[in-house]
Amino acid sequence: MPPLPLLRLPGVVLCEVFKLLSIGEKIKLSFCSKKTSAQINSARLYSQRVIVVLIMTQKVIRVYSDYQPVGFYIAICTEKIDDSNIQHARIEGCSVPVTTTDSEPIKINTFWKDLKEGFLSITRHLLKIFHCKISTGRDCWRHELFEPILTELFNQQQVFEKIFIGLHESVDHNWLNRIFTYSELVEGIEIPYLYSLTPSTFIPTFPPWPRQEITIKPNFSWLTLDTLFTCTCSHIYIANTNLENKDLDEILTYWKAGGLPNLEYLTIGSTKIKFDGDPILGMVPSEWEDETTIQTNDGLKTAVVQICQNYLEMLTLPQP
Amino acid sequence: MTSPASSSEVKYLIESSEGNTFDVSGAALRQSNTFNAMFLNIGADGPIPFTDYNEATLKKVFEYCEHSVNEENYSGPKHQDDLSKWDLNFFNEMDQKMFIDVINASNFLDIERLTSYCCERIARMLRGKNTQEMIKVITLPTAEELEAKQKVEEKKAAAAKKVAEKAAETAEKTETLEELPVQQLVQTTRNKLTRKYLSFSNE
Repeated sequence: MPPLPLLRLPGVVLCEVFKLLSIGEKIKLSFCSKKTSAQINSARLYSQRVIVVLIMTQKVIRVYSDYQPVGFYIAICTEKIDDSNIQHARIEGCSVPVTTTDSEPIKINTFWKDLKEGFLSITRHLLKIFHCKISTGRDCWRHELFEPILTELFNQQQVFEKIFIGLHESVDHNWLNRIFTYSELVEGIEIPYLYSLTPSTFIPTFPPWPRQEITIKPNFSWLTLDTLFTCTCSHIYIANTNLENKDLDEILTYWKAGGLPNLEYLTIGSTKIKFDGDPILGMVPSEWEDETTIQTNDGLKTAVVQICQNYLEMLTLPQP
Repeated sequence: MTSPASSSEVKYLIESSEGNTFDVSGAALRQSNTFNAMFLNIGADGPIPFTDYNEATLKKVFEYCEHSVNEENYSGPKHQDDLSKWDLNFFNEMDQKMFIDVINASNFLDIERLTSYCCERIARMLRGKNTQEMIKVITLPTAEELEAKQKVEEKKAAAAKKVAEKAAETAEKTETLEELPVQQLVQTTRNKLTRKYLSFSNE
């Protein structure tokens, strides 16, 4: 069959065709030419809720969605090209050498002079197609490109799905300060365990809190109840604290009085919870049922609370 | 047009770009949302003009509609593997040009099922291909061709610039000539003619 004049088809038809393609196929088609890229961009394929994960440590970008969780990988290569199957793709106005690997998950290798340029060009290209949110890989905060790439994207007011920030002593405090001031552009922040690494003396300033979710895994002395009570997130996960029964009582009392207004889910871990210790909401923990239902003082919100040996878990129920 | 109330027996006359007319059943025609919006309620005197499309294309489109009249309600595009033998034959019989014409007509007539199947067929042409293979499928110049084209265009532009510069130079000379007093101009022309005459004589 002779070649199909795809771009001469009506816009509605083109849009339907694009929707039928997988994430990877859309990306590969967008690499064909400036015109295909422009056509795909104008199809506004935003409903898929695509997430782009920048994994600097592996020099790769993963693109996936809830519908296509396996997704598609784009490698950013800076080494010499040693492949006879080199093709050329149009990416952000440049002709970029690429090779494709067909094994699952399908990966396209793109070759750049500079790693940062590669990451940013591909990211911009993907943003135009999918209007996607960006996440970073779990350990990428250690990578030298983490700061310059995120700075550039934050400056463009790009919204992030989730970023991991290791509070390690090697990370510059000015940079950490900056990143936390951009929290409003981030839906979720996770501060991961450092295991054998030395934690930083840095104290993050909240608010602003991330838009939806905060996860703090190490035990930090700076995380006090006063700080927690300013939290505007809907999902709060704090793995390790020194909070005692009276502190948990204070948190639940605060919520009942209308505090933490956005809260939907809360987990607080602590080794200092005592089952026969101080009462929480008037009951010693051993008297609590597996799941106890509590209500705000105004009766508008209901939550289910579970107190276990070393954590408290709370889930607010949808309002009728 | 005949128009007894809502009967599948009703036949409508369709007019193509060649001015030819042919019959289509009401049931088949009602698969076109464009027809439903334009003619279903108000009716039409005489043939319905779909004169942007030729007879062969329209007949092919309505062949599909006539066939699918008796099928169950449409429930989204099927995978190629789920298409019936008839459907597959319908698509396989078409050459590229007819396929494009059918897509365009189906899109205009807003026949959801046929348009969706056509889109699925195009998507299948692109599936499992790398960028270079996709370029071959969709008639696009490759990056190298684009670069070569750009170089040619740059050369052309440079050549055009040279021509323009020469033209400007000539214009300047002409302007200089025009600025000469009439007597001197006559003399210059005479000299030129003399030189021409001499060169002829020498030959």
